[in-house]
Amino acid sequence: MKKKAQRDPNPDIELDLGWLKHRGEWGTRAEPGKDGLSLGDIQIGSYADPADESDNQTGRSRGSASRPDGFRIGGYEVRSKREVWLENAASLYEEALQRQWSSATDIPWQTIKELPDDIEQAQCQLATFLTEVEFVAADVPARWIAKISPEYHEPRMTLLAQIMDESRHLDVFRKRAFANGGGLMQRTGGTSGVVGSIDMSRDFTEMSSRLHISGEGAVLSIFRMGELMAYNEAEKHIYRLCGQDEARHVAFGVMHLRYMAETAPERRDEIHCYLDDSERNLLAGQQNPAANQTSTSEALAILLGGGKDKFDEGYKKLLAIRRRQVKEFVQRVKSAGFGERFENGRSNPELMKYAKAA
Amino acid sequence: MTESTKEKALARRVAALSEEDLTIPEPNYRWMGKSHQWGTHVRPGKKGLTVGDLNVGYYAEIPEFWEDQTRMPRGSVAGRGGIPPIGYSVRHKHELWADNAADLYEEAIQRRWISTSAIPWHTLEALPDDVEGAMCQLCTELCQQANTEIETITRWQDQLSYGFHEVKLFLASESFDAARHFEVFRKRALANGGGMGLESRGEVNRMILESMGGWTETVALLHLLRGVFTLTVYRHGRAFAHNEAERVMFTKCTEDKARHLAYGLEHLKYAIAHQQDQAMILEQVLAIGEHVLLRELKDPVMRECLAIIFAGGIEGAGSEGMAKFEHLMGDYVRHYLSLCDWLGLQRRSMMPNRFKNYLEK
Repeated sequence: MKKKAQRDPNPDIELDLGWLKHRGEWGTRAEPGKDGLSLGDIQIGSYADPADESDNQTGRSRGSASRPDGFRIGGYEVRSKREVWLENAASLYEEALQRQWSSATDIPWQTIKELPDDIEQAQCQLATFLTEVEFVAADVPARWIAKISPEYHEPRMTLLAQIMDESRHLDVFRKRAFANGGGLMQRTGGTSGVVGSIDMSRDFTEMSSRLHISGEGAVLSIFRMGELMAYNEAEKHIYRLCGQDEARHVAFGVMHLRYMAETAPERRDEIHCYLDDSERNLLAGQQNPAANQTSTSEALAILLGGGKDKFDEGYKKLLAIRRRQVKEFVQRVKSAGFGERFENGRSNPELMKYAKAA
Repeated sequence: MTESTKEKALARRVAALSEEDLTIPEPNYRWMGKSHQWGTHVRPGKKGLTVGDLNVGYYAEIPEFWEDQTRMPRGSVAGRGGIPPIGYSVRHKHELWADNAADLYEEAIQRRWISTSAIPWHTLEALPDDVEGAMCQLCTELCQQANTEIETITRWQDQLSYGFHEVKLFLASESFDAARHFEVFRKRALANGGGMGLESRGEVNRMILESMGGWTETVALLHLLRGVFTLTVYRHGRAFAHNEAERVMFTKCTEDKARHLAYGLEHLKYAIAHQQDQAMILEQVLAIGEHVLLRELKDPVMRECLAIIFAGGIEGAGSEGMAKFEHLMGDYVRHYLSLCDWLGLQRRSMMPNRFKNYLEK
């Protein structure tokens, strides 16, 4: 309904102003905390909790008023909170913002010194592998973001921060390969379009368990031991900073799985199937740099041992790291609320062998 | 855990390995010595070691068509074959390339900001209800525009071939920027006694999201047609800011948006120069887009909320406020047309009459 401007004595254009009566909850006053005004700080009043089911198909921001003539442009597949939610997404996003870093300036590149050829080759092979696989954790979440209802913007934004993190990981390992007299080496095919791979996941939780719990979890264990295979401060910085990022991504997966376990008990058996895949990928897949008999496992053994001539010594360390990887995987799955698989015989026997020995 | 603690812990784990565990495979080292260009030694410059610095020698060769359908890093050795494809659809350089993508990516990182702490939120003060209502409505609209940018870019991200990683990296930074824009405008709406307003009708959003025929066409709509409009609104938002918080908010967003536009223009220029008919296709895409944008602006919400902000209230919004809104549109059309001219796109003589009218404003 048209309405004259209320206090404009000489309007050139008659205003409608009907929109001023259609809005979300009014009188909201989010207060900044000691660190500023965070995403969590604006989760207040009716803006705090997203609906369990979202009918938002127009891309509106949560809590804004809908309009009957809005175009249904979303086509969102993920419209249930339990399919995507985690309790701490806002704080993970905030942490991601606080801990952004620059591979151009935050890595002390000048500390890299010439290395023996076998060590440099191993470092460059590992860097090639990581340049190759790190962006799977960007491409795949990107594919999901536009499928998730904007009602759940906190997880979406955390995934956007992850995409940025993974871009930096791609670039920092490419930089490492070129910074010390080496170069890129051989592609591993560590991620590919095969059934059971991260790329091919058809469900968000399936994707998250493969990507966050298994794939990124395995790489995180390697990054955490990075100081033991780094030959200079630059490499130590790289592993440390990437490890921080990766820990956040793994936390996303664990917390989402935990939320799913609590809110969708009917999906437990299905989730266990995804975890079966995760275990297989951890043990034998090309996605795990420490998996058996891959170019990256050989490179890691050289780096951990201190040269080709100390391959056996390095490989023993790698075996110990693999045990640690498995132990950490088990801890994550238990923390997510799916620990019964390690008690009832569901878990892969080979993985259990590692876990018991760890 | 310190480095020495980690070493000791690892040594303990190694000592605990049983004989059975200690089966060590014979290494084959087939990967050793496999590099297209060994001996690469890129040194950091005064801006550190940037992605652009890495484009040296063999690694600087950016192919016109990227054959590979896996995540093979550009410049690496393919090695074993038979790797199942992932399925990238954007594989020609002219479909996505921009020479400035690597530098813009580094700039995005250097200019990162945090809406939590970079905005002086304590400078917000209570505004008259009509102005607060208009400001919240503007923020609601800008949230939705940022959401469209996020959804559009992320839908394309995994379609862009790995051989052009500079563009993929830049677009990751752009979608991250858009997340921050979504966040900062939502914060503004919820921080000063207001709330979220009415959602956008979404016709331009729909047009951008539906432009899935080619990334270049999406860029024309997202970065050029809509992007310049959003940039113009940000600039006016800064000029009419009510407090320091809003001024910083719009300033930071303007910087980001200018960077997004820089990629868009460079890419369009490249695409037009390297693809026959591209200019004509873009002219048609933009002609349709201009009409959609004008049709959406017939909806009163966006122009009225801006008019109220410009006039300092409903009083004067229908006269002074609307005159300033038309001036904003004039700024937008002039900027947009100047960029079309620069790109060699014939829009000035073929634009809708309402666009022409704005030129006088």
